[in-house]
Amino acid sequence: MQVRIGIFICDCGKSLSNIDFPKVKERVEKFQEVVYVDLSSSLCLEESREKIVSIIRERDINRVVIAGCAPELKENVFGKVIEEAGLNCNFLSMANIREQCSWAHESDVTNKALELVRMAASKARFLQPVEKKDMPVNKQVLVVGGGFSGMKSALELSGLGLRTTLVEEEAVLGGKLGEFEGFYGIETTPEEMLSSMRKAVEENGDIEVFTSAEIARVEGQAGDFTIRIRRGEDKLSRSCGAIIFATGYMTEILPQDFQLKPDVNIISRRKLVEMLQAPGELERRPGTIGFVLDVSDENSRLPILSTLNNALAVKERLGSEVYVFCKSLKVDSEGVEKLYREARERGVVFLKFEEKPRISKKDGRVKVEARDVLLGEEVTLLCDFLVAEEKVLPPEGTEALSSMLNIGTDSAGFYQDENVHLYPVASERKGIFFVGGCKGDLDFTRISTDISSATMSIYKLLSPEKVMVEVEKVKVEPEKCRACLTCVRVCPHGAIQMVRVDTEKEVAKIYDLACDGCGICAAICPAKAIRFEGYADEQILAEVEAIGESL
Amino acid sequence: MANNHVLVIGGGISGIASALELANGGLSVYLIEKEATVGGYAASFCCKATDVCSNCSVCVVPSKIKEAVIHPQISLLTNSTVQKVSGEVGDFRVEITQKPQYISLERCIACGMCTEVCPTEPKAIYLPSAEAIPFSYILDERLCLRFKGEDCNLCRESCPTNAIDFKRKSKRQELSVTTIIVATGFEVFDGREIGSLGYGRYPNVLTGLDLERMFNREGLLKLPSNGKEPQNIAFIQCVGSRNESHCYCSQVCCKYAMRFARLIKYQNPNAEVTIFYIDLQTAGKGFAEFYEECKESTRFIPGVPVEILEAHSGELEVKFENILEGKVNREVFDLVVLSVGMVPRKDSWDLARILGINLGDEGFFDTKPLNSIETNVEGVFLAGTCQGPKDIPNSIAHGMAAAKRAMEVLVRCR
Amino acid sequence: MNREDNKIVAFCCEHSAYQVANKAGKMRLHYPDNVRIIRVPCAGRVDVQHILKAFEKGAAGVLVMGCQEGACQHLTGNTRAKERVKYAEDLLKEVGIDGGRVKMVNLAPDMAQRFIREVKEMTEKIEGR
Repeated sequence: MQVRIGIFICDCGKSLSNIDFPKVKERVEKFQEVVYVDLSSSLCLEESREKIVSIIRERDINRVVIAGCAPELKENVFGKVIEEAGLNCNFLSMANIREQCSWAHESDVTNKALELVRMAASKARFLQPVEKKDMPVNKQVLVVGGGFSGMKSALELSGLGLRTTLVEEEAVLGGKLGEFEGFYGIETTPEEMLSSMRKAVEENGDIEVFTSAEIARVEGQAGDFTIRIRRGEDKLSRSCGAIIFATGYMTEILPQDFQLKPDVNIISRRKLVEMLQAPGELERRPGTIGFVLDVSDENSRLPILSTLNNALAVKERLGSEVYVFCKSLKVDSEGVEKLYREARERGVVFLKFEEKPRISKKDGRVKVEARDVLLGEEVTLLCDFLVAEEKVLPPEGTEALSSMLNIGTDSAGFYQDENVHLYPVASERKGIFFVGGCKGDLDFTRISTDISSATMSIYKLLSPEKVMVEVEKVKVEPEKCRACLTCVRVCPHGAIQMVRVDTEKEVAKIYDLACDGCGICAAICPAKAIRFEGYADEQILAEVEAIGESL
Repeated sequence: MANNHVLVIGGGISGIASALELANGGLSVYLIEKEATVGGYAASFCCKATDVCSNCSVCVVPSKIKEAVIHPQISLLTNSTVQKVSGEVGDFRVEITQKPQYISLERCIACGMCTEVCPTEPKAIYLPSAEAIPFSYILDERLCLRFKGEDCNLCRESCPTNAIDFKRKSKRQELSVTTIIVATGFEVFDGREIGSLGYGRYPNVLTGLDLERMFNREGLLKLPSNGKEPQNIAFIQCVGSRNESHCYCSQVCCKYAMRFARLIKYQNPNAEVTIFYIDLQTAGKGFAEFYEECKESTRFIPGVPVEILEAHSGELEVKFENILEGKVNREVFDLVVLSVGMVPRKDSWDLARILGINLGDEGFFDTKPLNSIETNVEGVFLAGTCQGPKDIPNSIAHGMAAAKRAMEVLVRCR
Repeated sequence: MNREDNKIVAFCCEHSAYQVANKAGKMRLHYPDNVRIIRVPCAGRVDVQHILKAFEKGAAGVLVMGCQEGACQHLTGNTRAKERVKYAEDLLKEVGIDGGRVKMVNLAPDMAQRFIREVKEMTEKIEGR
């Protein structure tokens, strides 16, 4: 069908005085395949929009160029206008002759404006339609990890009307929640919280639980994942539309930082919590308990959070003297500053060091020596127990899962690449999310917020059971594809997979829902087999060539 | 429940994040904003990258704002405030007042002819900023001659689209919504409250916010007094935070100070940057490495500056307690930046009264323990810094979480 | 200015550079009018053939402008673009065109002054100043 381009030029209320609009109109009318040129003063207003529709219809225009102000706020308005006139919204090409031309230069810019219009018209010549279609999606969700974050995610999803499959590595649900002493000022203990959550999950008909199970394989794309679960000898298969990773974290007392092996006097946080939960069972009340922080990791929130809660609990239940050695208190979480002051008021002593404390043993007790910067003096503490700092680490299997699924981790090995566009909970791949300790950032408020962000994102994606996609906006032309796998490896969103077309041949396929429209694949394909409608090679090259043509 | 409308009060990044989640989830949203433009504080901040990104997240804001403004299911009402709320969850009646729209949003094409002819100085009709969204001119009644009794019609006559009409009145509207999300944001601590630090008296004492805006507009750091590039800069942390009247950490200041420090050194390798701190907040994704790099180029001094005095030369003498040395020192700088924190908005009282929600101890809106979204009124939720200090990613997440909570209410009713 | 021999083709990513150019215009910050901006969805869409075609058709300089390193909306787009610009630079040198005529620029949506500086620098280089 013959291309018939209609060009609508706007002089923005006649305010763009450094462009000779009549001259532009006159020259533009002579461009190839241009059948109509309209000059007006405020193209974006309602009355003008109606005019555009009637002109398109009357003149049988099938490609539209709009030369006016910056596209980003007006593009979709004009897209709808041409749709109203019966054209596919992709048949629109815009030239920015205001912000990037008239406003940006002092002198007369008629020639530049003319070139910009010609660039847009040249591109318009090659535009193809893009259809929008509803793609069905699987409403089921997979949650990997049955700790606090995993359970809360599953419960929230149920509250939103979505069903989940919850897969947990251990034999019981709960993760690390039981290792916490408590949240100061909150009546409910973590134990109670844990058992009520477990109960809620087990009794919830929308949540299917597999314990002592792990993920063996994940295939497919957002809206249509296929999961293989391994539970002992059994292999199960499930389908889902989205995945939440809530695989938690690990902690480790680093032997190089606590020179003595963890022994009866140098204890872990967990051991302290056990003591606090059964104080009557202790042989004798410890007179002095010390905490050491910022030795293994200066940049983590969990140690100070648990230390403050535990220190207050010690004061309450054991009545011991409590000393905390730290370098820089991480108080940038909700309520922590208040907790810190409360601890001080209750008699917890905070000692700040610049150089790491020296830890040794003396007379069966633990000796900690450090220079307290606030006092400006060397301090020696003899304590009955020293609670060692634990470094927070990503759980085992993170790297393996990350490479299996093509999702990134940060420089510390926790999930989620550091790229700010992924915050708070997204991964590079559509439909895959991270919540909780596996992201590395550990305070209760942030984790709860993250969980709700993820469940809302998933609800948005899956609940209507269909998603509107632009069909084959970026498409691999199967005849040209040489199955080199470059695009598959290069796609940052993991949206391309190989599919079998017949017994001989496999070609790459781009999944519309997962594709985020960057065009990296189109640029890199050695066979030029990928076409990105709206930014296809011939369209970009047409723009480039239009610059060089003489006026 | 036939009604599927939600009201979001506040068009900052949290409110926008909430509105987008709800709208993309199939609901209709009224997004009310007090000012003429949306985006809140975050929209005026600057990128702090050197040759690599510093993860400040400022660049994620513009695209979200644009997405919200063009979204077919979000009705944006700027220059609007909530006057009255009645009803209950599932059926709130909200009375909104919109200031007179002397310049019609639908007809203003931002051509700028009006400001060219406006006779006042500074101009009474102007564009709030280059990044203003909605991209429309606004009228300042305090400067406009008409509101001083004169019959000036210059702007109206120059407007090519007849967008200006001084006869317009304020509009009252009643909205019927199922749930309400409060996303009214924060205020920046006023540096002048600590008189001894010289903010407001000495031109070369700035706040973190001033720096954001300077970099956003000019792309580099200039001394307000003489326009030259500063060579010796100090940052003072915890100004207005972690004290008796604001017993919390504002969460963003240490990071923004360090990011600025690195940016300043990148633009001017000869500059010396010093950060005075109490406890350095370095936790967060990717920040540990950043902090290590910072240590190499920035001086970190644990200490509390108590006084700043301006010398004849214009230089600033900072008197501080050096904790490591245990004594009081004085040092001279060209520029001092007060890393001010976030404080609750003064108009939170009004909104709290209108909605029937409580304010917490610190003046932010109160929530239930271990739940930072719900208020004491069922169906009214909080999003963003109006609940407590947060950085940009956290504000977005919080907005999304509030949206989820609002969505839940509707899902339960179906 | 109506010269034919000093055109700069600037491939601008829609998330960052394209917005920056708009901001510069909105602030009425002026820069040389020899720049022609081509909008791309990501700097990573720009291929070596696009860069070379620009020179073939008479451009005197090419700028490929994308997001800050580490902040690409598509994660690796700006890195890919940087590699391709380097490759194009080497190819250009082989045919006798100064490698400095093609440059990768990373910026954020608010950096109007930086955009202008880059355009001015490239223009000065082209005009032999």
